[in-house]
Amino acid sequence: MKATNKTRARPTLRSVLGRGHLSVALLAVGLVGISLTLLGVLALRVYANHNLHLIARSINYTVEAAVVFDDSVAANEALELIASTEEVADAKVFNNDGEQLAHWQRNVDGLLGHLETRVATALLGEPINLPIRHKQQRVGHIELIGQGRSLLLFMLGGLGGILFCTLLSAFVALHLSRRLLGDIVRPLRALASVAHAARRERSFDRRVPEAPIAELNELGNDFNALLDELEVWHSHLQNENATLAHQASHDSLTGLPNRAFFEGRLSRCLRNAARQQDHMALLFLDSDHFKQINDSLGHAVGDEVLINVADRVRAQLREHDLVARLGGDEFAILLTPLQSREDAQRIAEKIIASMQLPMQLDSGGSINTSLSVGIAYYPDDGDDSASLLNAADAAMYQAKRTRRGQWQAAQTERSAAEIKNRS
Amino acid sequence: MTVAGGRVTGSLLSLLLAALMLSAGPARADAAATAVQAQQRAKDVTQVVLGILSYARWPTEPVPLRLCLVGPTEYADDLIKGNLQNSGQPLQVRRLLADDRALAQACDAIYIGKLDHAERDRLFQAVSGHPVLSISEADDPCTVGSLFCLRVSDQQVAFEVNLDSVARSGVRIHPSVLQLSRRRAVQP
Repeated sequence: MKATNKTRARPTLRSVLGRGHLSVALLAVGLVGISLTLLGVLALRVYANHNLHLIARSINYTVEAAVVFDDSVAANEALELIASTEEVADAKVFNNDGEQLAHWQRNVDGLLGHLETRVATALLGEPINLPIRHKQQRVGHIELIGQGRSLLLFMLGGLGGILFCTLLSAFVALHLSRRLLGDIVRPLRALASVAHAARRERSFDRRVPEAPIAELNELGNDFNALLDELEVWHSHLQNENATLAHQASHDSLTGLPNRAFFEGRLSRCLRNAARQQDHMALLFLDSDHFKQINDSLGHAVGDEVLINVADRVRAQLREHDLVARLGGDEFAILLTPLQSREDAQRIAEKIIASMQLPMQLDSGGSINTSLSVGIAYYPDDGDDSASLLNAADAAMYQAKRTRRGQWQAAQTERSAAEIKNRS
Repeated sequence: MTVAGGRVTGSLLSLLLAALMLSAGPARADAAATAVQAQQRAKDVTQVVLGILSYARWPTEPVPLRLCLVGPTEYADDLIKGNLQNSGQPLQVRRLLADDRALAQACDAIYIGKLDHAERDRLFQAVSGHPVLSISEADDPCTVGSLFCLRVSDQQVAFEVNLDSVARSGVRIHPSVLQLSRRRAVQP
């Protein structure tokens, strides 16, 4: 829970890249836009003031005569003539006595007009006060307040430009970050998926594809090399494991499964047979006079005989039958599936017959050996592995007692009862 | 500033005077009102005359500018008192008779009061051919003779220009004055 919370709190590469690009773009556009607009406003302010001075001077020339003759009507007309076509918000003409001769004011209407007034008072500063001179003599003065229209329009345009550029650059930044993200994330995803497969499914055969970015490509290559080593190591380990497993379940001399393997298979087959109502036969084999061979001819010959016996027995069996060396000179065979008792008996006879040929020894010379076989049937002679093994063992000893080199079916009470029932 | 202050005190004084006259008796009220009005008219006339003079150019700049008052004038008292043009140019004002022979040489500008037709004709004959700026105070149709004709009323002192006379006189008048006069002429 804690781990997932932690990972959720961490930003993704996409968000980091996106944020980075976006902030750089916004910073650049903002700085440039604001500084340009500020510079523009300052420059425009200088020009607007200059322009206002020019307007004031031309008003001066126009109203000069009217002021000299103290003619308010003429002054008003002259003032309106100029002020109405220029960027003037308010213009007043005073004579030398300080009386207002003429006044012109632009109609302020709507939001834009009020904004203009605000901008004009904020940026253009004090109203312009210019004396009217006639023959080097001051005859009056004018007061002029500029109109902030061009400034306002410039500022609005600047704001609009900044806004538009911000949107555009944000879009481009996101697009670029997405592209970059693709270039970075695709190789990383491939790497992650390969690593995941190697960890979860132990599939070391997949490799990371090449990446467009050098560092990521190098990482991928290193990872591939690591995977190569892992694969070699893993297969080595698997082989070792297989060998160990084989050694644990098989007899090293004859190569036949050992007792533990045989018992495991037997109990499994018993479960299957119980479920599917199959029949099985368990054969117990014991070499006759093996102890004497061992004692008189040595262990090497004994081993040779055991290997030979194992080979010959194996040669007589069907595909699904299992032969195991239980220990010493004892072998056991599991016949499954079994159609009839006669099949088991025929196999037992074939095994016994296969022993009749003398065995050629490596040291030269040959030796004759024989096997005694005890047969126990499932389910007639027992329905668990212990009882079946006991029954087969008993039958084998019985065969040894009566006549060596022969087979003997188990004769348990149960099987006797079965036979009685049948007859 | 001092000039303005002087004027203010002057007008205050006259107002005080008028108030005193008003309190003196209703019979004298009319006379007092006309006295204040006359004073105001004289002041306006002075301003207009000085303005016209300041916008005029003579072939040779006269120093000082010699203004002659001819005939009985109604509003020229202030002109006689002051001797400075508002442009700072020195101004010399004196009264002359209408049939003075030296009038054309002694004056650069003449301010004409009430004259009968004969006197007026003689006067203009005398000055014709000389650069003399003439201003008529009294009702003058402004068709022959005078360059400027004043139209004095309580509201303002207007003037008309006789362009033919201006052209003939040799005195150049600044166009803005001409413009001002024409506009005034059009005004009812």
